Amino acid sequence: MINLAKREIEHTLGKFLVTSAGVGMLLGIVLIMIGVYRGMIIDAQVLIDDIGADLWVVQEGTLGPFAEASRVHEDLKNSIGIIEGVEKAEGITFQNMQVPTQSGLVRVMAVGYDPLGDLPAINESRLREGRTLKEEHYEMVATDKIGLKLGEKVALGRDIYTVVGITHGSVSSGGDPLIYVSLKDAQELQFLYSNARIRNDRARGIRGESSHMVNAVIAKTKEGYDVKEVANDIERWKHKSVYTYAQEKEILTKNLIERASKQIGMFTVILVVVSTIIIALIIYTMTLEKIKEISIMKLIGLPDRVIVSMIVQETLLMGILAFIAANMFAHAIYTKFPKRVVLEIPDALILFIVVLIASILASFVGVKKVLAADPREAIGG
Amino acid sequence: MDRKIAIKVENLYKSFGKGESYISVIEGASFEVYKGELVALVAPSGAGKTTLLMMIGCVEDPTRGTIWLGDEKVYENRWLTRETRRIRREKIGFIFQAHYLIPFLNIIENVTLVPQVNGVPKEQSEKEAMELLEYFDIAEKAHSMPSELSGGQNQRAAIARALANNPEIILADEPTAALDLDRSFDVVKMLKKIATDQDVAVIMVTHDEAMLPLCDRILTIENKKVVSKESKEAKIL
Ligand SMILES: Nc1ncnc2c1ncn2[C@@H]1O[C@H](COP(=O)(O)OP(=O)(O)OP(=O)(O)O)[C@@H](O)[C@H]1O
Ligand SMILES: [Mg+2]
Repeated sequence: MINLAKREIEHTLGKFLVTSAGVGMLLGIVLIMIGVYRGMIIDAQVLIDDIGADLWVVQEGTLGPFAEASRVHEDLKNSIGIIEGVEKAEGITFQNMQVPTQSGLVRVMAVGYDPLGDLPAINESRLREGRTLKEEHYEMVATDKIGLKLGEKVALGRDIYTVVGITHGSVSSGGDPLIYVSLKDAQELQFLYSNARIRNDRARGIRGESSHMVNAVIAKTKEGYDVKEVANDIERWKHKSVYTYAQEKEILTKNLIERASKQIGMFTVILVVVSTIIIALIIYTMTLEKIKEISIMKLIGLPDRVIVSMIVQETLLMGILAFIAANMFAHAIYTKFPKRVVLEIPDALILFIVVLIASILASFVGVKKVLAADPREAIGG
Repeated sequence: MDRKIAIKVENLYKSFGKGESYISVIEGASFEVYKGELVALVAPSGAGKTTLLMMIGCVEDPTRGTIWLGDEKVYENRWLTRETRRIRREKIGFIFQAHYLIPFLNIIENVTLVPQVNGVPKEQSEKEAMELLEYFDIAEKAHSMPSELSGGQNQRAAIARALANNPEIILADEPTAALDLDRSFDVVKMLKKIATDQDVAVIMVTHDEAMLPLCDRILTIENKKVVSKESKEAKIL
């Protein structure tokens, strides 16, 4: 049997390909959107995974240190370090700041950790150049996205820092690139007031506030201890909020996943619906354009199934071509986005099924037109 | 006479519209067309020739009456089969003033389309189509698109298509209207030859008096009824 769909498409090949490619770009954006979502979820976990702490001790009653502001005294690490089941504990700080680079200010998150301590926050496998922090002052490790070079001098606060290491892929849960500085430097950057303010306070008899604060104390538990129980102990004795690794991760991702998936889901649904409507419109006009031929086919006795399958095949092929174009498009541009875009095969497969269903739905308008076509119209009517 | 009946119409009525726009076109037409016969259908414009042809071709719904195609009674106040299209593709070949070939299929695909839907294997249908195209002297155009053929070539291809399903009946509505006199004679002679050689009943609507001597018989529509005349009588119409 002659494949009518194939023949017809060959006859209008250019138009068919251009249309498919256009729809493909729309669907490509759908893939990118899903990729952005996947990227957000992955970004959200990079930092806590890199730090790798079993317990996060934060200011009582907060969901800190990422979801809510939290401050605890640095020396809390000492009293936590001696709690039964805790192997080691360190203070850690996080703060957003602007770093001057050659291409202007870049928003980063600064992680402050004790380079001489027991829990280094840098995941060494991310190190591409240089080394991690060694000195207690004025050293910085930066992730490559920021655009700083090894050895570069950077002015932060009142001091000049030297970039001693470059990492790759270090991001905050919000997707901002990371820099690492020593805990002491970080405390200075975060908690020290300006000279004027300090003088002012002194004049009024207010003692300068301690800069020995951190945003959280992180801890590793000893082998054989139940992390949850240790967390409960700390909570009870120290009047702090304590989260396990899994809980902290949940705090970070739950809200994010809920909001982002709704947001991205909305965009995705809208784009898929728009694509379906576009395919439907195109198939409809393509059917209208050949309504005369369809009438002739009916006149010479071709059964509906032959004509309908021509329309459905054309629509499906358009959907499939659009899907292929979408993947090519998405893969061509996804690295150009500022934040992480992760294209996953299962997502593409689901989109493929959605596109097939959408194409079949879209073909209905054409099919309806086919069924309504009057063979008498063929002869001028 | 033991001529076999190809078309038998009994007491056929056809009207269009209701109320103000009501128009009665055929009122109680009864006639027969035999196998192997080339019959001209001649009547003034608007008399209902196309309408009659389309009712025989199971395209237009009659108002009432009876239609037999060969042994099969296909209409008695209603279509007796849900699949009038099956009757068309198995029993009838259509030819029109324009060729109505499908523009995105080449000539041989146009010709083999209906036979293949009827279940004739591809190879066989192509072999038979090539024979037809050779017969009509357009075999070398078999793989060309209709847009690449002349008007006369396309018309011959359209006739080849009408014959490809080995129809019992050919319904031709002004097949020569777009052709010059020589071409018209060729086409009508072809139809005559098909009728005789393949025992097919051919009804041909024509306004061209010059073609009438080639026909076996003339049907006209007078007073909304179908009247049969010998071809000599008809010439003076
Ligand atoms: N679908 C329709 N609705 C209403 N009236 C129609 C319809 N089809 C045909 N008619 C009317 O029926 C009459 C016969 O039309 P038909 O086309 O059969 O004439 P014809 O003999 O083929 O004319 P011509 O020689 O011009 O082709 C005309 O008056 C026409 O207006
Ligand atoms: Mg007519």
